[in-house]
Amino acid sequence: MNFVTFDASYVNKLRAGDAPTEQHFIIYFSELILLKLRPRLRSQEQIEDVKQETFSRTFSLIRSEGGLRHAERLGPLVNSICNNVLMEQYRSSNRVEALEDEAAERLVETRPNALNMVISDDTRKVVRRVLDGLNERDRSLLQAVFLEERDKDEVCTELGVDRDYLRVLLHRAKASFRVMYSKQADAKKSGWVFG
Amino acid sequence: MNHQEALREMAVERYLLGELSGTSLDSFEEHLFECPECTMEVRTGVSFIDAARTELGAPRGVTAPHRQNARSWTFWFTSPWILAPALAACLLLLAFETFVLQPRMKLEVAQAQAPAVLNPLILANAGPRGDSIPEIAAPEHGSFVISLDVPATGGFSSYRCSLQGPEGSLLWQTTVSSEQARDALLINMPTDKTKEGLNTFLIQGLPANGDANGTLVDLARYRFHVTIQK
Repeated sequence: MNFVTFDASYVNKLRAGDAPTEQHFIIYFSELILLKLRPRLRSQEQIEDVKQETFSRTFSLIRSEGGLRHAERLGPLVNSICNNVLMEQYRSSNRVEALEDEAAERLVETRPNALNMVISDDTRKVVRRVLDGLNERDRSLLQAVFLEERDKDEVCTELGVDRDYLRVLLHRAKASFRVMYSKQADAKKSGWVFG
Repeated sequence: MNHQEALREMAVERYLLGELSGTSLDSFEEHLFECPECTMEVRTGVSFIDAARTELGAPRGVTAPHRQNARSWTFWFTSPWILAPALAACLLLLAFETFVLQPRMKLEVAQAQAPAVLNPLILANAGPRGDSIPEIAAPEHGSFVISLDVPATGGFSSYRCSLQGPEGSLLWQTTVSSEQARDALLINMPTDKTKEGLNTFLIQGLPANGDANGTLVDLARYRFHVTIQK
């Protein structure tokens, strides 16, 4: 994902219906919207409906008279519109309690692919290397939390660590994954097979 | 929430672990939608977690089998319980080679290169079909001299000399030119090339006119008894 500045130029292109910019916008925010909605909505159909409605209203607002006054607020605008559509979805589903007040316990759920991304063999190889570099306790911790989906406090107590340790472990594993994956991608570009 | 607060509070990790709720969740998500760096971190985290769940084993609670093999492979090279005895064995081998083998080899080389009186085995006077069988007391790891005559029959371009052991096995072989065969042959024979017991020295001629099959012609067999002196 390229780092794109959501500036006035970007917003103007969206307003003008520039296809590449629109495509980038949809890809970029689709992932964020999916991350936001998955803990909150049970049905994939509902998630898709909310996502589409969010984009529709965002484009309508951008292209309206006055439109978006501060281009750098494009991201928060999408988030705000998504929240509104989500509330409407709850009301239309006759939900009494808003799920947003519950802790998003399982951001990555039992479905094998949270963002409908294909997990490439390269990704799996790099992750395998990261996991192989962990000691038994850390590996058990990640397995219990993400595979077995056990209660985190219970797992941490069992393994003699606290929640901060779990967060740091995830942070380091994620960082290792990012570094190794970048190296592998660079090596492949230069013609060397890595890992 | 701004980016610094997100970093300080490890908001990305908390988000990925589902630890955010209420106001903190709303605040982080609002920041997430405007911060490409945090978006990348969350995206990376999701990719890692998704793939890790696969690698940790689709059946719950089962570790991916390949990790065991990889661990075993590196275990042999990193475990001190393996490295220490291996290092000790290497040092022992090195010491044995340095203090035992090499001095022995040097001594043997020195002995081989030093001038020495060799025991002679004279087959020249025995005759190829003599009744008495000469004997030689050969020093172990040493050598002795064989002196013999090649039968003076002409018509051979060269001669093959073969040494056969008590069981008839070929122990040693060489080719002698017709010029060399004119005089008595003196052969420096290492004891290690013979076997204790009755040995046979066979002389064969290669016809000069070129037999159709290149067949060697037996000319003489000299038998002698070897006793190895230890």
